[in-house]
Amino acid sequence: MPGGKALMERGPKPTILVTGGTGFLGSHLVTRLLAEGHRVVVPARSRHGLSADQRMARLLDWFGTPHQQRSLLEVVEANLEYPSLGIAPQQAADLRLKVDEIIHCASDTSFSSRKEEQVKRVNIQGLEHLLDLLSGSRCRRLYLISTAYVAGKRIGDCPEAFQETTAFHNVYEQSKFIAEQIAASRCAASGIRLTVIRPSIVYGDAQTGRTLAFNALYYPVRTIHYFSKLYHEDILEHGGDRARALGIHRAPDGTLHLPIRIDGGSGCGVNLIPVDYFLRAFLAIRDAPSADGVFHIVNPQNTSIAELVDFTRRFFHLTGLEVTTGEDVASLPRHGLELLFDRHIQAYSAYIRDARIFDRSRSDALLRQAGVTCPAFTYAVFTTCMRFAVDVDWGRLLWESSPAGP
Amino acid sequence: MIPEHVRAQAAQCRHYAMCKIDYLGTGLCASGAEHHYVSHFPQGRMDLCDALANNQIAITEGLVEIADSCNLCGICDRQCHFVTGMRPVEVMKALKEHVREWLARGNMPIAAPFDPVLEQLRQIVGQRWATNDPAVLLTYAHDPFPLAGPQMPRFVILPGNREEVAAVVRFANGHQIPYVVRGNGGSVFGFVFTDGLVMDMHRMKDIVIDAENWTALVGPGVTSFELQQAAVKQGFRVNTAEPAATVCGNIVCTGLFSTWANAYGVNADTFVDMEFVSRDGEFFRLNDPRAPNVFCYEHRLTPSPGICTRAHVRLHPMTEDEEGMLIPFAEFDEAVDFARDLSRRRIGLALGVLGGHYLSTFMAPTATLAEQVRGSLSETLGMRYAVFMVGDRFARQAVQSMRPAVINADLFRMLLLGLPRLADREWQDLLIGMGGDEPVYEFLLRPEMRPVLEAVLRPAPETLAAAVDEDLRTFYTQLYARPEMTDMVWLNMFRILSSRMSRHKHMFAFLIYVPMDRPDLIRAICDRLQRIADDQGLENDFGFLTPLDLGKRGILEYDYYINHQDPVDADRIRQAAVEFEPYLDEISATIKGVKWLKYIFSQGCARKEAFLYT
Repeated sequence: MPGGKALMERGPKPTILVTGGTGFLGSHLVTRLLAEGHRVVVPARSRHGLSADQRMARLLDWFGTPHQQRSLLEVVEANLEYPSLGIAPQQAADLRLKVDEIIHCASDTSFSSRKEEQVKRVNIQGLEHLLDLLSGSRCRRLYLISTAYVAGKRIGDCPEAFQETTAFHNVYEQSKFIAEQIAASRCAASGIRLTVIRPSIVYGDAQTGRTLAFNALYYPVRTIHYFSKLYHEDILEHGGDRARALGIHRAPDGTLHLPIRIDGGSGCGVNLIPVDYFLRAFLAIRDAPSADGVFHIVNPQNTSIAELVDFTRRFFHLTGLEVTTGEDVASLPRHGLELLFDRHIQAYSAYIRDARIFDRSRSDALLRQAGVTCPAFTYAVFTTCMRFAVDVDWGRLLWESSPAGP
Repeated sequence: MIPEHVRAQAAQCRHYAMCKIDYLGTGLCASGAEHHYVSHFPQGRMDLCDALANNQIAITEGLVEIADSCNLCGICDRQCHFVTGMRPVEVMKALKEHVREWLARGNMPIAAPFDPVLEQLRQIVGQRWATNDPAVLLTYAHDPFPLAGPQMPRFVILPGNREEVAAVVRFANGHQIPYVVRGNGGSVFGFVFTDGLVMDMHRMKDIVIDAENWTALVGPGVTSFELQQAAVKQGFRVNTAEPAATVCGNIVCTGLFSTWANAYGVNADTFVDMEFVSRDGEFFRLNDPRAPNVFCYEHRLTPSPGICTRAHVRLHPMTEDEEGMLIPFAEFDEAVDFARDLSRRRIGLALGVLGGHYLSTFMAPTATLAEQVRGSLSETLGMRYAVFMVGDRFARQAVQSMRPAVINADLFRMLLLGLPRLADREWQDLLIGMGGDEPVYEFLLRPEMRPVLEAVLRPAPETLAAAVDEDLRTFYTQLYARPEMTDMVWLNMFRILSSRMSRHKHMFAFLIYVPMDRPDLIRAICDRLQRIADDQGLENDFGFLTPLDLGKRGILEYDYYINHQDPVDADRIRQAAVEFEPYLDEISATIKGVKWLKYIFSQGCARKEAFLYT
């Protein structure tokens, strides 16, 4: 592990505060940092009837983190939405004395304008509360996990640099953009080194398929899986009237004909990176001696909607799934299942028909040196990831003692 | 020995008297129908079982007869489960068993004490219809309101006609015996107690429909449900209150109001005439020029004008094309404005703004499902409020042209019969992840989505019945195969679902008349009541809001929920009262159009204009 080696050479390991440590990326980072022997502090909320400690413990169980590493972890019951994260003054003072670095992963990834207030409260005020809390502390380093999509509605090249953007597809992009600006200005003012990490869309581990999050890439595939099961059941157990109403039928070999025309539109497809690549890339950047500024962690190769549809069709033994262009769609009546996909694609069109090209020159230079490359999103990777997702029922079986998740 | 879990269930009876009306077509408790006393209905037996387990009552001759007369037919299990989720047959069995074992040990039941006054009362109403047996008295001695302590009456009597009522009043006056009147034998909010005489009007169930005059003559023991049944048979509808509440009692206490009040009015709008027995035991009718003026309103707590022995209520016509409709909203103010707009445009008959809690609780046959559906409707679909409307086809067409998404009668039936699958976690996850700026309901209610919904929900009586205990599924399947059980018009006329609001806890309802054109004020009242409850840790929620008088005024219900068996909750509501009483008193006195129902109490015959515009 390159990161571990470099740290060993640097002497005593810094204590790192990781926000969002119970989330998808954050939990991966926490377990990796613990494995490297860092002391890690995770501020987290109680949720779904579980304390912050319990949530973290369940995640560490899932990762198989050995017990001796867990003693390096301190979980603090806290909430980014409150000033001082809602923790007691003494506890805050204690954090100021011990934290050397921050990795700020916590984020609300909702796109809906209906959730604007909540998204801004977490993504903007949350960062400010964190920086306020550690103002004047010994912490001299902030890694801000942002998103490649702070580029907003920019078309074409998106540089690995702080950039002026005024138009965004949604409140998430805007809030992450503002958070970067705040971080840059406050870190500059207080002499804290800032590294902004901008991943694209992260899916599970490309080798094992394991993941904790089943949104983004997974949602449309999961939707197809749901309706595939539903109509199989309708045909096999309930006479199939409801399937016939939408032209759905089952071939003797068990293949389901699910006639859904998906609006492929124009654009360059979707930029997907696996979480294991994100992790390796982040640690390589962190290990680099002067890795300040902005780094894109993205895939050099986008995946088209046609490829995703083809993968899905093959994986679930379906026919009828088709990719159509905008003109075709406009001229034909759409049935309910198609409208459902239209709505989803419309909400996420900026990502699945992306017109942004992310500059990778800074990150490539570092990652190439560290031997870190992004794997292609092949059918084999898709199969590995979706098999895991189906096996854990899209996350519902991840936590057998409680379905609520961490 | 009565097992603790049985006693605990018995103690949860909310006294809503739903076991005293045949609202599911199961028939009535045979013992109750024959004996009429509350003690002989499942409600009374629940109290007696609890009291026996707590050693609060001895086994009397009356109690033996009450236990014996239960034939364990199981009707109460089905009736009670429908609204409360409870299974009282277990309690009935335990009571019978306990008494049988006690007798088998050679014990003799205690006779009720001899009381010469009782004998005189029996001369008025007949031997069977007056009693001082402690077992019977106990079932009239308390209610679920936690701040009202138990008070044992000396007698319970069941008069059979108006002359007997008048004679009992004169007798009580002559012997200085205090008395209270209970329309259907029950009490809910701690008001109707005495250590004297309780008059239960349950035997006086006369209904005479005058189809030419569009009116009905109603005896004081007639419930809203029974009157509605009689009216519907003749092609009419009445504006009614809770199904088990008596029509006369409701008019006198608070005046009638419901979502139908939008079209049919409230209080004096609902009747043509009323007959009373005065405190002196004399009859008077409101249309008599010499009668006391009860059409006026005084802003103070006043006594009732007497005992209502007959109400002459108004009936209303129906058209063949009436259907119910739900119009979803994400925001309260928008829903209020829309309901008011419909009212002032005279669109629709019944109208009301419902909260997500109301809607999910009404629809779901179990508390667990209600909780799941509530999250599904409010959070996943974004349907935090719904305007409910009953209207003819013209009204419905108008509404459809005004709003992007509505739930019509067919879709409601589909949602109701597919409710467990609507709340299915997998389906919820898909809806949550769908994205988009508009509320999910707008998308999901599009006509093109119907076949998809049909496949997802698989609506059928069996699907809904899957949510209840296995041994009740056949009953629920048959029940929900009946068209009226999924018909919003019928359900809203007979209101058989409203008691479900108290399924998980006893409901303490605030009813407040409000100016309908001020959603900010209405919201402020709700916010204040919410804060008071939250401060005390009391569960609370918006109930409903119905426009009145062409949208100029409205009636708001905000609800607190209390475990009536929990002394902590009793203390909480006591503490909350220290805040809400002066607050509601003040806004009732100072803001035009605001009147807390407390002030209308016993002035239910008043003209609405006398208190809504003063």
